[in-house]
Amino acid sequence: MNKRWLLRWFGLAALLFTGSRWLPVPEPYVPVYPANFGNRLNIPADNPLTKEGVLLGRMLFYEPLLSANNKVSCGSCHQQQRAFTDGKKFSTGIDSIPTERNSMSLANLLWVRHFFWDGRAESLEQQALTPLTALHEMGQPLDISAAKLRRSQRYAALFNAAFGNSNITGDQIIKALAQFERTLISANAPYDHYLAGKYQLSPAAERGMQLFMNAPDPGKKIRGANCAHCHGSPKLYMELFHNNGLDSLPLDPGREKLTGLAADRGRFRIPTLRNIALTAPYMHDGRFGTLEEVLDHYSEHIIQSPSLSPVLRNTSNDMNGTSLKLSRSEQKDIIAFLHLLTDSTFINNSQFSNPFN
Amino acid sequence: MKYTLLLFLATILLHSRTWAQSATISVTGEVTHPLQLSAADIAAMKKVTVQATDRDGKAHSYTGVPVADILQQAGVTMGAQLRGENMSKYLLVKSGDGYEVLFSLPELDAAFTDRVVILASQVDGQSLPEGKGPFRIVVPGEKKPARWIWEVTAMTVRFAKE
Repeated sequence: MNKRWLLRWFGLAALLFTGSRWLPVPEPYVPVYPANFGNRLNIPADNPLTKEGVLLGRMLFYEPLLSANNKVSCGSCHQQQRAFTDGKKFSTGIDSIPTERNSMSLANLLWVRHFFWDGRAESLEQQALTPLTALHEMGQPLDISAAKLRRSQRYAALFNAAFGNSNITGDQIIKALAQFERTLISANAPYDHYLAGKYQLSPAAERGMQLFMNAPDPGKKIRGANCAHCHGSPKLYMELFHNNGLDSLPLDPGREKLTGLAADRGRFRIPTLRNIALTAPYMHDGRFGTLEEVLDHYSEHIIQSPSLSPVLRNTSNDMNGTSLKLSRSEQKDIIAFLHLLTDSTFINNSQFSNPFN
Repeated sequence: MKYTLLLFLATILLHSRTWAQSATISVTGEVTHPLQLSAADIAAMKKVTVQATDRDGKAHSYTGVPVADILQQAGVTMGAQLRGENMSKYLLVKSGDGYEVLFSLPELDAAFTDRVVILASQVDGQSLPEGKGPFRIVVPGEKKPARWIWEVTAMTVRFAKE
């Protein structure tokens, strides 16, 4: 009797074991981030983070088979050492025709609600579709990418582990990529340590931070650069679209192209300032090569136009000034502070690096 | 025949573009009558004038429609209905630049407060300045005008989730 029971138990255990091999259950991936980043995460209900999905996504992020000429991957224009940018004004993909806008840094996308410089995609899943398929970027329809991966020895088991089948579809490619990108969390810059009470600012960075945070009020003799109005918060961006006075008649209409509203002319997403010292050149068109040039723009050259951000109108350290009018040394102090936003562990994190190297 | 069809399509296209270019305010969520208010709709509503101090530290008079009236028109649970579970509803106001601010419903209801929060279209008898219009929320008596959200494009009423 006892023996029979034992055999039954053994049989059941064996069944469960093989069953679990046939129906793999991916393990949840729990993102780790500071409490001051908040919990307003942008994760679609049909694409929860799993360890297997993230691992697959990392491989796909660096997979050149996803491009028409087998030479370009997401990682070509989003290089980890440059906080996932490429150092170019405009990027080139499978041919020599440049993209229309500057490659954006990928950091803390878990919280972002509007992707691209004009905010036209509301999820990373939607976003990833463009660079993968756009003619001059990776230039390959998703079904061809999926077919190429099916022919590779590498991927069947990885897709099976992540999605419970090894069909390998375009939808799964997109989902895995989005999962990996959501894990690119940067929260270990000296500024983060300062916020946690564990870092002493240099006098220059301290002065720079005060200018960064304060709005100028020459009537009350308060000097400021008002950067925090749009780049405040521990994440160093806000989910806003502003025209920052680059042009009176912008070549690139920005968000206006999307909405048709005159108020949106020359409006672009507020980019994160995290790792900003690594992500030159700056602005949607990469027109500024250095942080000095960026500070010079805000200090001296804000161009008035009907859609100029109200935050930049008549915001100056001079009475009746139309640009910030910061002194040279104030600009240097702000740049000293901006360097404290560089997260060296983020750019060296082996979880984010090219697994094929 | 072909040309007529093309002309017809072009006309539709032109018209849809014109519509897209005029700003409206949507009122949606926990409402019985979702609204898409045009400037003309708002112009036709009853206006009040309130005194309030902007970031410049100076008092101005702002003219506009009480937000409560807009919510009433959309069938939001205001007045006698603002009790029980409806006390856990909020209004989220959105700007064309992406900014969002929140009000609880009693903050906007005359049964609870004498303060009248308005959707302003004028300041000191003039249209709102470029960049801040055509409609801006004004909250009299609030020390910091961070909830005076400009370029209002949407109002959404929801239940707080927990």
